[in-house]
Amino acid sequence: MKIVTSDVLPSLEEQGVRQLYSKGPNVDFKKELRSLNSELQLHILELADILIERPSQYARRIEEISTVFKNLHHLLNSLHPHQARSTLIHIMELQIKRRKQALEDIKRRREVAQRILNESLATLDGH
Amino acid sequence: MDIISQLQEQVNSIANLALNTIGTLQRDAPPNRLSPNYPEPPAHPTEDGANFSEEPKLMSASLVKAAKQFDVLVASLPISETGEEAQLKRIAELQAENDAVGQELQKQLEAAEMELNQVQELYRQATDNCLNLKKPDVN
Repeated sequence: MKIVTSDVLPSLEEQGVRQLYSKGPNVDFKKELRSLNSELQLHILELADILIERPSQYARRIEEISTVFKNLHHLLNSLHPHQARSTLIHIMELQIKRRKQALEDIKRRREVAQRILNESLATLDGH
Repeated sequence: MDIISQLQEQVNSIANLALNTIGTLQRDAPPNRLSPNYPEPPAHPTEDGANFSEEPKLMSASLVKAAKQFDVLVASLPISETGEEAQLKRIAELQAENDAVGQELQKQLEAAEMELNQVQELYRQATDNCLNLKKPDVN
């Protein structure tokens, strides 16, 4: 049986937003989040600068800042499936542990019961 | 609150801080001289003078603080470097193990059930024998 999870998060391209972080199957979330954060700070600084030098050029900076924010939120949203799978793995590990303990319990008690039974039968036969 | 929601809230608060910082500075900035041809702009009222140079420092300090807080939260993400396929593989492994343990449990339960029945039967026979031994004399 093959297990798949289907993600319902539309990709950034589908929403018409430029994707700033590298694509590919395994995204290094922490690295990309941190680099997006730095890029954001840089853009805010540039905005402050351009408002001093050439205030009429603000629109492009605002658009870049907005793109960075959208990328940040999209990246964070795509962490949810990962989190869901991690939670599932954790729950399954706990369940297996519980069941194995129950198994040991049953085996032990059966052994004890068998022993008591044998002892009592031996006692009875002794008469 | 889970870590992803915390991160999302932090992003939103950075956005708010940026908005307030730029907006406040733009709103409260004293007029600037555009060209030597124009006269010097009217002197800024002194009541705001002392505060105004402090505002950008405070606001930018809180903006940077929020960005650092974001980095701290990112560092505390409990993500292993494994990607989706590795996780799915692990889930399949765990499921197989769970099935095996389940079958073993079933077997043990059935065996224990059978032994319970046997013991109950033995008790029944033992009590029957006791009762038969203690049958009172009718005559």
